Amino acid sequence: MSYRAKLFGWRDPYDLTGSDALFVDAMRENAAFHFQNCPEYRDILLRQGFRPELLKTADDLSRLPVLPTLYFKRHELYSIPKRRMALRSTSSGTSGEMSRIGWEWQDCLHALRMVLRVTRNHRLLSPLPTNYIVLGYQPHRSNQTAISKTAFGFTFFAPGLRRAYALRWQTDGYTLDLDGLKETLLRYSRQPFPVRTMGFPAYTWFFLRELQKDGIRVRLHPASRVCMGGGWKQFYAEKVEKEALYALAEEVLGVPESRCHEFFGAVEHPILYADCREHHFHIPVYSRVIIRDARTLEPLPMGETGLVNLLTPLVRGVPLTSIMTDDLGRLHPADSCGCGRPSPWLEIIGRVGVRGIKTCAAGAAELLGGAI
Amino acid sequence: MILARGERLEAEQTAAVLAQLPDWLAETFAAEPLDPLCVVEACHTLAQRVASGEYDGLVRMVLASGVATPAQIESAALFFSRENLLYKLKTELGAERFPVQEAPPCVPFRIERRIAPLGVLLHIAAGNVDALPAYSLVEGLLAGNVNLLKLPQADAGLSLLLLAELTAIEPRLTPYIYVFDTPSSDVETMRQLAEFADGIVVWGGDEATAAARRFAPPNARLIEWGHKLSFAYASLRASDGQLAGLAWQIVTTRQLLCSSCQGIFVDTEDLSELHRFCERFLPILDREALAAPPPEIGIQARITLLQYTERLENPPGRLLFSGERASITATSDSALELAPGFGNCWAKRLPHEKLPATLRPYKGYLQTAGLLCPPEEWAAYSEWLRRAGVCRIRTGEHMSDPMSGEAHDGEFALRRYTKIVETELPAAAERPAGSERISPTEGSPWP
Repeated sequence: MSYRAKLFGWRDPYDLTGSDALFVDAMRENAAFHFQNCPEYRDILLRQGFRPELLKTADDLSRLPVLPTLYFKRHELYSIPKRRMALRSTSSGTSGEMSRIGWEWQDCLHALRMVLRVTRNHRLLSPLPTNYIVLGYQPHRSNQTAISKTAFGFTFFAPGLRRAYALRWQTDGYTLDLDGLKETLLRYSRQPFPVRTMGFPAYTWFFLRELQKDGIRVRLHPASRVCMGGGWKQFYAEKVEKEALYALAEEVLGVPESRCHEFFGAVEHPILYADCREHHFHIPVYSRVIIRDARTLEPLPMGETGLVNLLTPLVRGVPLTSIMTDDLGRLHPADSCGCGRPSPWLEIIGRVGVRGIKTCAAGAAELLGGAI
Repeated sequence: MILARGERLEAEQTAAVLAQLPDWLAETFAAEPLDPLCVVEACHTLAQRVASGEYDGLVRMVLASGVATPAQIESAALFFSRENLLYKLKTELGAERFPVQEAPPCVPFRIERRIAPLGVLLHIAAGNVDALPAYSLVEGLLAGNVNLLKLPQADAGLSLLLLAELTAIEPRLTPYIYVFDTPSSDVETMRQLAEFADGIVVWGGDEATAAARRFAPPNARLIEWGHKLSFAYASLRASDGQLAGLAWQIVTTRQLLCSSCQGIFVDTEDLSELHRFCERFLPILDREALAAPPPEIGIQARITLLQYTERLENPPGRLLFSGERASITATSDSALELAPGFGNCWAKRLPHEKLPATLRPYKGYLQTAGLLCPPEEWAAYSEWLRRAGVCRIRTGEHMSDPMSGEAHDGEFALRRYTKIVETELPAAAERPAGSERISPTEGSPWP
């Protein structure tokens, strides 16, 4: 059995210490696969004087060359031929560029095992038939974004009765149907079944605000849940405190904070991070996080803020072994959270870049991009 | 908060103000036109008050937000001084700032030519320079227009305060100043505002211009102040003092302004000479960068990611010269591009005879060239830069220093905010020579 298969079969999804040695083995195995099959990846490793066999202990993980998500947005890297790909996904492309990721069957299978373990650990699976509200895209063959696929996948955590989408596919594209969604919610609220909503936190916030503005207040079935994932993206200026969002969910839908959940993950790091009851993202065994200095990229000690480097041996389609997101974050020790999970938790603080300042020089360069 | 006829109102009253506006405008147009000198005097008084420390609390707030340096505030205040505004009127409006009477060839009558305001200007201001919305409105006033200002969402309240003070100082200005904080997404209100306008002044590029084009009525003039790029051009004989001046400019503007230096074209064909130039400039740039406050972590992280990604991409001919805080990326191409900013610029080869051909594709986007060369070569180099299409040539140190009466992106703002009105003068209507009140009189403050 491969190290990866063992890792994704690990019983306790938050047993980081116990799985450390296996994680390193699985990482070496994954890096070696990409080293052999992806010439660009091999070049990057060799130019930095690194070879997969140098991965021996957990301390070596930080020396494995990191690929920023920006690199995947500019270059398509594959370690398997396209015909062997079971699934392809792209990032949402909020800033115009997207990463293209390909999965082989085995990757999907292990991802599914992970999702089952994590959702079971968080008691998100339910046998009760459930109505879904997806504050995102209706699946369609023209939409390859991971977020739409994830949201659709989410609608199988409990058997689905009906699925309603905020963005519905019409003959020539997506249209936003808020009024329709409000009516659907009212209809769901009169049925004896739980309701689950899924969407970006920003979309969820806007939807709840719309309901509040219209004076709509429903008491959903007690087994209902509000689920969010994907971060705030381009709505950063609108970012609200989580407490305000949870309070609004309670007020408008009658869903208490304990049944509001947030997920974290990225198309370039397709690991399911589910928040605990304290709304913290504990690191699961399938993943490791290294926070790096914003200038030198050196690993930082626990508690300091820097760039978020995410590692996982899940995917063989694309060398996602060690990637760096556009997020700033910091790690907190496991015992700083009252939920009892034995792994440190990751706090995402924000996106890199110049927020709020629109520079005229940058604007000119954007325009130039289209002009020449 | 909005401002209408000198009164500060809650944003909820926007609709009520818009409903009144047609009557108010009719009243304003029927009355005596606005005398630019009363605008000048009001601004001068305001500038003096800022200089004397009356608004120190506000100035501290602007400084704390990090969008302006004390030197920038000082120069902004200076900008509103009588001397500067009178110079601006004289330079930008030229001879026609007074009615001119002429007998054109081949017609049997005389005419009078004078400059008149467009009427109503709608200013859609950008949020990247703090007092810019107020400044744009003052330009509209100098040209005699009624001004509707739509504040950028990032505005911290500085513009509204300055303009409210202006109307308090000079009540005659009140019918000419309206400030709204309507968000751009409120298309209906934006359309209503645009319906009143003879000219729509749009600051910023991409979305702002596209949005304005959507709601601008066909009979309104669209006046766009778009995004621009600026660079430095260095002779290999540039002095250390000139390089230090440029380094100061790069660091203090953080390369965020249209006039900020993104990178340096060096007058050479030789890549190793370019690299020697980088080795020489890096310690100078780094010294300035280390003297300034470090960029906030999110900005530093973005720069690090960009540079690290480039290192992975390993493009041929690209070499990063990295200091303690600043960096210079030398490349073998000659493309004008945006730098990561905050003391991180590029350096490229560009022999002077290739300037016009290389920069031609960037027509419409070129603004300032900071020229670094020995004084005896200044004339020749600036001629090459003019042929390449830049519209502003300065020393490195002065690239982003504003100056009264200067053209903006190659045009005089006051000319764009006005129109020329020509009136035939039948013989009887001509004023006898020497008795006209329309030329500057003795003792008039007019320049």
